[in-house]
Amino acid sequence: MIAYTLRRLALFVPMVAGIVAVTFAIMLLLPGDPAVVLLGEDATDEAVRDIRRALGLDRPWYVRLGSYYADLLRGDMGMSIFQNQPVADAIGQRLGATLEVAVVALLLSIVLGVLLGIAAAIWRGTVIDGGCMLFAQLGVSMPVFWFGILLMYLLAIRLDVLPSIGRGDPLLFALGDLLRGRPGPLLDSLAHIAMPALTLGLTNAAVISRLMRSSMLETLGQDFIRTAHAKGLLPPRITFVHALRNALLPVVSIIGLRFGALLGGAVLTESIFGWPGLGQLAVAAISQRDIPLVQGVVLSFAIAFALVNLLVDLMYSFIDPRIRFE
Amino acid sequence: MRAHLKVMAGALAAALALAAGSVQAQTVRLGADVDAGTMDPRVMRDTTAYRVNNLLYDGLVQLDANLQPVPDLAASWENPEPTVWIFNLREGVSFHDGSTLTADDVVYTFETILDPDLKARFRSLFTPIEVIEAVDPLTVRIVLKEPYAPLLSYLDMGIVPKAYVEGGGDLSSAPVGTGPLKLDSWERGAKIVLVPFEGYFAGPPAIDRFEFVVVGDNTARAQAFEAGDLDIIQSPLSPQDISRLAADDRFASSISGGLGITYLNMNVSDPLISDPALRRALAALVDQDTIVNTIYEGVDQVAGSILLPSSWAYDAGITQPAFDPAAAAAAFAEAGWSDTDGDGVLDKDGAALRLTLSTHSEDPNRIQALEYIQAIFKQNGVDAAISIADWPAFSAAVRGGQHQIALLGWLNIVDPDRLMFGQFHSAGTLNWGKYANAEVDGLLETGRATIDAAGRTDAYRAAARIIASELPYYVIAYQGYQVFHTDAVSLTPDARGMMRSAIGMQ
Repeated sequence: MIAYTLRRLALFVPMVAGIVAVTFAIMLLLPGDPAVVLLGEDATDEAVRDIRRALGLDRPWYVRLGSYYADLLRGDMGMSIFQNQPVADAIGQRLGATLEVAVVALLLSIVLGVLLGIAAAIWRGTVIDGGCMLFAQLGVSMPVFWFGILLMYLLAIRLDVLPSIGRGDPLLFALGDLLRGRPGPLLDSLAHIAMPALTLGLTNAAVISRLMRSSMLETLGQDFIRTAHAKGLLPPRITFVHALRNALLPVVSIIGLRFGALLGGAVLTESIFGWPGLGQLAVAAISQRDIPLVQGVVLSFAIAFALVNLLVDLMYSFIDPRIRFE
Repeated sequence: MRAHLKVMAGALAAALALAAGSVQAQTVRLGADVDAGTMDPRVMRDTTAYRVNNLLYDGLVQLDANLQPVPDLAASWENPEPTVWIFNLREGVSFHDGSTLTADDVVYTFETILDPDLKARFRSLFTPIEVIEAVDPLTVRIVLKEPYAPLLSYLDMGIVPKAYVEGGGDLSSAPVGTGPLKLDSWERGAKIVLVPFEGYFAGPPAIDRFEFVVVGDNTARAQAFEAGDLDIIQSPLSPQDISRLAADDRFASSISGGLGITYLNMNVSDPLISDPALRRALAALVDQDTIVNTIYEGVDQVAGSILLPSSWAYDAGITQPAFDPAAAAAAFAEAGWSDTDGDGVLDKDGAALRLTLSTHSEDPNRIQALEYIQAIFKQNGVDAAISIADWPAFSAAVRGGQHQIALLGWLNIVDPDRLMFGQFHSAGTLNWGKYANAEVDGLLETGRATIDAAGRTDAYRAAARIIASELPYYVIAYQGYQVFHTDAVSLTPDARGMMRSAIGMQ
């Protein structure tokens, strides 16, 4: 399994190289010039030329791409054109916030989706099933920004129970405080992350609940479940041990893939809740044609996505011991 | 007795403040749409940086609410010759790091801005400067290449400390100014916290803390304000949120003329659009009133000409063609356009009247306005297509003169020169459609070179009259500036969104 993990990690190298090339090509093909954005509309053509030279944008594309690879090998992601700081710093300051909200949203959507899916399957054809599937239908159809605005209106303005914007202490620090006997920061952090995580996780929870329901129904109809009933096991034990473990496999396999959608959704969620993550930075970077920063953001999203998927693949063997990695 | 009453009133006010739960009334939280890119005023380019730097730094002058330059770091100035300006600096002004302001800092600030290597956004505003020099530690002399009347309006540029920057200090993340507030912390992408500078030359401001809180989405920012998590929000706001907030009696609101226009850029280098008669006919099909009052819900104002109502040069008597489909039809006929083949589209010499309207995707109201213009164009025999791209792509096309009619805007027009010289002078750097009119050239040169206000006013009005008739630009709206704030904040609206009044400074 260690060999398998190392092999998967080694594949990151061609992946990174490919992603850099594709991102670079897209940015190159997009009309619009960072030098013009930088100088503003009232810039003279001469000033634009000077800036293009200073930024190295006047070099041929293969020279620019090659020098980016060379810099990357040395661990240098370049300077952001607009943030006046190295790309690595700009990303480092914000990546934690985005991963935090994405991971909490993921956990939230797994718990919510799996529970609703199980409930819908067990009580198939009842009001509970209908309710769960209505939730799933709404969850996949509601646009993220609309749901976020609605949630904020309800919980922050009408009921005034949650802060509308901002982030508390990072959750890991707040957990540390809790261990030292101070629950305040954790409560504050949870209050701040609740709405962004719910907004971000909603679609995901809906998708998971539908999948969980059908997978559970399929499993519940299998022979070994009948055998378990025949043995006289208690229904909760059959559902949560025998059936759940088997029904979970297809769900786990999509969780990794859904993480990509979560990172994408973070872009919108962050700008609604003033969450200091990479999403807002990514939007700004693209709309300013800040090529080094776009490269950096895409790379960090891609690596995070690949890591989560690796983790999910490794989890298979824990859920289903029959699966072995060679 | 009077003192006694005062104490009573003070105690009562304090008790009320406590009862209202506003124990942190001394903290002012402003909602911002973007994070600042830098805290170096010389290279700033976004509105948040502009507003933050206005609190961190002082300029030689400040612009008051009427955009008139008033003394700031310069206690006074003289203009002995049209090309020579002498500024007498205030004595004993300290930077946030404790060093004292001298003429060298002023000279350094502008010399570095003029150095192309700094990539300063506003460099072109200062290129008419020939020499800037320190006469003595408290006197700065600026010699211009030619008379340049708008200069004073641009000298609110923050002055930076030479020794700090040359010693390796990084203004972009660790700013050191002379302003009333200094940087306490900056959580990138989220929050900029400013606190009073005790050594401020006019005495520390009346607040404990000023926060710029970044919320990218306009509606979410308005809601955070309603939820009590922000104290001030200002343009840009969604027109759809404004009427709701204005109706809420918990908030004070103020709307005033801004410093921007929304306009149609008619590309005079395009073979079709090059005919002024056709431009006038098309202009008569632009329903300004509906765009301004329905799509923008009355935040903006219907525009008459290229001169802003907030400007000293404004003249309500200058008007562009008004919305009048009948007049447009007559004008088309006069210009030789008629629907000879009965297909509903005007034609001339066998060619149908087809054109493309373009704008950028970031502002949904602009897209809506353009679609509305398209619909009226089509009803009146103009086959108009629409092209939408994101801002960098759209502006690259417009800069390259590849558009026919583009809907966009200009901001920060603190002087008519800023909206006219570059745009309409035949050698102007922003004259993307290559509009050329020798009379306009002469008038704009006069406006720049004349120091006397009445002379400048005459020149700009005459030029504006020609523009309103030849229509290289059709100005749809004067952009409004809207600010909402809670009762805890006292504020004098400033069209540029500057916040000095919110910290008790003028």
